[in-house]
Amino acid sequence: MNDLRAVLWIARKDLLHETRSKATTVATLFFSAITLVVLAFAIGQDERLLADAASGALWVALAFAGVISAAQSYQADLEDGAFDALLITPVPRAAVYLGKLLANWLFMLVLGVLMLPVTFVLYGASFPAGWPYLIVTLALGTLGFALIAVFYAGLTANLRARESLLPVLMFPVVVPILLAAVRASGALIGSDDLELAGGWLRLLVGFDLVYAVLCTAIYHFVVEE
Amino acid sequence: MSDASERLRRPAWLRVWGVALVPLFGTGAYLGLVWSPQDVNQGNLIRIMYAHVSVAWIGFLAVFLTALFGSLFLWRGKRRDDVVSVASAELALLFSSLTIIGGMTYSRPTLNTFWTWDAKLTLTALMVAMLVGYFIVRGLIDDPVRRGRVSAVVAIVVAASLPFNYLAAEWFRTLHPSRAIALDGSGVTMAPEMLLTLLFNTVVAGLVYGWFLVDRARLGHVEAQLEQERAELELQSAPTAGGVVRV
Repeated sequence: MNDLRAVLWIARKDLLHETRSKATTVATLFFSAITLVVLAFAIGQDERLLADAASGALWVALAFAGVISAAQSYQADLEDGAFDALLITPVPRAAVYLGKLLANWLFMLVLGVLMLPVTFVLYGASFPAGWPYLIVTLALGTLGFALIAVFYAGLTANLRARESLLPVLMFPVVVPILLAAVRASGALIGSDDLELAGGWLRLLVGFDLVYAVLCTAIYHFVVEE
Repeated sequence: MSDASERLRRPAWLRVWGVALVPLFGTGAYLGLVWSPQDVNQGNLIRIMYAHVSVAWIGFLAVFLTALFGSLFLWRGKRRDDVVSVASAELALLFSSLTIIGGMTYSRPTLNTFWTWDAKLTLTALMVAMLVGYFIVRGLIDDPVRRGRVSAVVAIVVAASLPFNYLAAEWFRTLHPSRAIALDGSGVTMAPEMLLTLLFNTVVAGLVYGWFLVDRARLGHVEAQLEQERAELELQSAPTAGGVVRV
């Protein structure tokens, strides 16, 4: 029970820090919007092509922003030596991981929900009738992404060349997440195909469960000083 | 000095193992190139499969052994486990790179393209990328204990991601069937000669992997001892410097 409270407090701390400094929020919000614009330029003017690419572009934008937000959540702590203090506090390391995970997940989820209308407008996709499923896809996909991102960001936080290292390490691992999320949201946006989306959503759930257990179990090896 | 050369000497049994690999490898090649029959559809091209599939299987085995020895290191903290784990990771990178080269060689004449988004090929390419990341991280950490722990963690995550990567890549293809012919072998019933040849080649590939693993771990062990001795020497010279500061 105490551990659960620790998780919530750490998540609260990260979110509070973010809402007051707004450093990551502003950067990632505009970064993902600009990624969407640039990708739309790259795809061209074919309306069919643009609408088909909508879900892929959305997830590319979210993935780039997610890497930044995960790295930033450690950077802010490391700058003042606050992370060492966090490790000294008598809570399990897993609570630190889960707290940061919760904060990052909420952040990415809000970002994803904000980017949805931008994507629909820029890519001219029709708003799907099964939009609650789209939110579920967003939630599961960003959870899986945050699981890996927060884990690896902790690993690379005090290494040289961490900015380039983090994506190199984590992107091959999150490929199934991105693939499943893109396919599921593509099936919803394009054709409202709930059955097709359901298969991918099950893969997302499986991935999230396995990595939630695995990463929580071995996180304390990652941050050990 | 004699101690160092003694440590570097390859033990007799390992040399016998290494020499025995040559005729075994030759037999495997003979079985694959001469003895086994032609395939109904692919003709002589099926012979690439014996080298390709056996290497691929051992590559996956190598990744899982890397994760296994990494977990042992996390559990017991013995330097030896880390050394074996790295040796296995290097071989995993070698075997999976060979798998990609073999796969491209195989798919060019059969599928008329070097690259298809086939589940297994995609999986292997991602595995190579993850293993490269593993070695980059290793190179950035100086403290041997922390280096061992971090690389063990990376190896475990890599091994855990393989089933998901496979599933995702497989569904990616089957839900959107492409024109490519499925070459996954599951639909093909194999002639007994072919199966025997494949299994023999797999065993030989496994023995090659095992030989390199033992030899590389042996070298890695000497390397680790050297690193430790060097660290101790630095520690011995350090107090004098500290003493000057104190005076």
